[in-house]
Amino acid sequence: MRRMFLKIAPASIFTCLAILALPCCLRAQGDAAQVYKTNCALCHAADGSGETASGKSLKAKDLRSPEVQGKSDEELAEVIAKGTGKMPAFGKKLTPDVIKSLVAYIRALPKKK
Amino acid sequence: MKTLSSILAIAWLLIVFKPEAQAVPSYSRQTGLPCATCHFAPPELTPFGRKFKLDGYVFTTKAEVTDEKKDHNAALHLLEAFPLSVVFDTSYTATKSPQPATQNGNFQLPQDVSLFLAGAWGSHVGSFVQVTYTVKDNHFGWDNTDVRYANKEHELFGKSFTWGVTFNNNPTVEDLWNSTPAWGFPFTSSNVSPTPAAKAIINGALATDVAGIGGYAMWNEHFYFAGTVYRSQHLGGPEPNPGLLFPFNIRGFAPYWRLAWETSTKNNNLEIGTYGIHTKTSPNAITGLTDSHTDWAVDFQYDRSLPQFKNDVLSFRGTYIRENSSLGATFAAGGAAQPGHHLNTLQGNAEYHYGTKLSGTIGLFHVTGTTDPLLFPPAPVFGSATGDPHSNGYILNVSWWPEQNIDLAVQYTGYTRFNGGGTNYDGSGRNAGGNNALFLLGRFLF
Repeated sequence: MRRMFLKIAPASIFTCLAILALPCCLRAQGDAAQVYKTNCALCHAADGSGETASGKSLKAKDLRSPEVQGKSDEELAEVIAKGTGKMPAFGKKLTPDVIKSLVAYIRALPKKK
Repeated sequence: MKTLSSILAIAWLLIVFKPEAQAVPSYSRQTGLPCATCHFAPPELTPFGRKFKLDGYVFTTKAEVTDEKKDHNAALHLLEAFPLSVVFDTSYTATKSPQPATQNGNFQLPQDVSLFLAGAWGSHVGSFVQVTYTVKDNHFGWDNTDVRYANKEHELFGKSFTWGVTFNNNPTVEDLWNSTPAWGFPFTSSNVSPTPAAKAIINGALATDVAGIGGYAMWNEHFYFAGTVYRSQHLGGPEPNPGLLFPFNIRGFAPYWRLAWETSTKNNNLEIGTYGIHTKTSPNAITGLTDSHTDWAVDFQYDRSLPQFKNDVLSFRGTYIRENSSLGATFAAGGAAQPGHHLNTLQGNAEYHYGTKLSGTIGLFHVTGTTDPLLFPPAPVFGSATGDPHSNGYILNVSWWPEQNIDLAVQYTGYTRFNGGGTNYDGSGRNAGGNNALFLLGRFLF
């Protein structure tokens, strides 16, 4: 049992250290997606598809779909600021300028398909 | 013998008075989302709730005091609202047979009151920190703690990759599912009704009695890995730890591991996983002989939304824990008849969530293990006449949430076998059914 412990303990510590070191080896995302990634990707997924576990359960919209892309910039900005359905309002956190840039980012999502 | 009795008493206290699992309103204030977005019924996490926890409790839609990172200046992200919450529990417990020389029908106002520091501390750091007042102790004590750093801004092999570091004081408290002990069923329970003597060490024995640092990662929303190493940290004990009067003094580090796979569709969420811990401890000492425990466990959770019933949710959860222990120190001290022991714990439950207003749960538990008349000695109510740890029974629970932050629950726990027997299990004439308990709870979260 002592031998087993001596194997498991260093392995566990190594796993923790490896996880801590991982960012160096990973591809960092660009700044352009930062606001989207922080606030929207949790449900709508990085690609806007809504194909995340939480997005599926909350029935999050596919931001690349004609239904979403067919809305005007003002309508999209209003949804982001005031929320709709199960989506919370971000108007107290994000400034109008940031929301505007977010709308532009959402507009570009279908092209990244 | 007196020392052994003290150790058993403390072990029993640690096992019986496990921290309660709760939901936290300050997360709701921080996210601008109702409780039901993160919980099917608190503390059961929805996929969104799991992601919120995985991401470090930092998601917010509310105003922050901010300063963006520029050149050589650091950024600042502070919540404008301080993330403080309160949970107030009041309860009534009645057992079928009163415990000797005590009054049955125990009304507690409060049973306990918890204060939470729960929310974002920064853009990547957040917390679930709980301190709890109990009438029995008549003071606040440190409770479940999970402070974590999380980073979700990376990809690995082209797939999403979230990783983090957790500082916590309870093995499995960092976990995302409700099939592991810290957040498992029953989600509320009486703190006065008798519970079986035998319990696996990962099943609450180390809760708030350890300090741990660990890492975790979720890849592609499917694979979850976590590992934590723990040292003993006894609440109310002297520092540095001399070990006296505490049954588990971890020698070196105790490693905990967790591996889980999950998959989801619009109406289905399935998780299958394994977890465990290895401890080497000295009872009542920090040197000398040791006891070792190795717990290996498997678990599953399945949540099914039912669109034909207005998205009511049906949940199934289960876990099996195998504990192998070598109690060299306890054996040498005359507290066990032989060093080698094992314990099998099987727990499962099914729950129907009627919207967010009502939930009904049926749970079953079954514990078997090595018979040892010294480790499980005869004693009124809590002992065993045969030394057999075999216990099994069921728990029925109905929770009504008139509002999402008020829980009125009725719970009935029934035992068909308790500490090895159905009748006269303790050698003092008490029957297993005598411990059947009715528990009424009023919980207010704000």
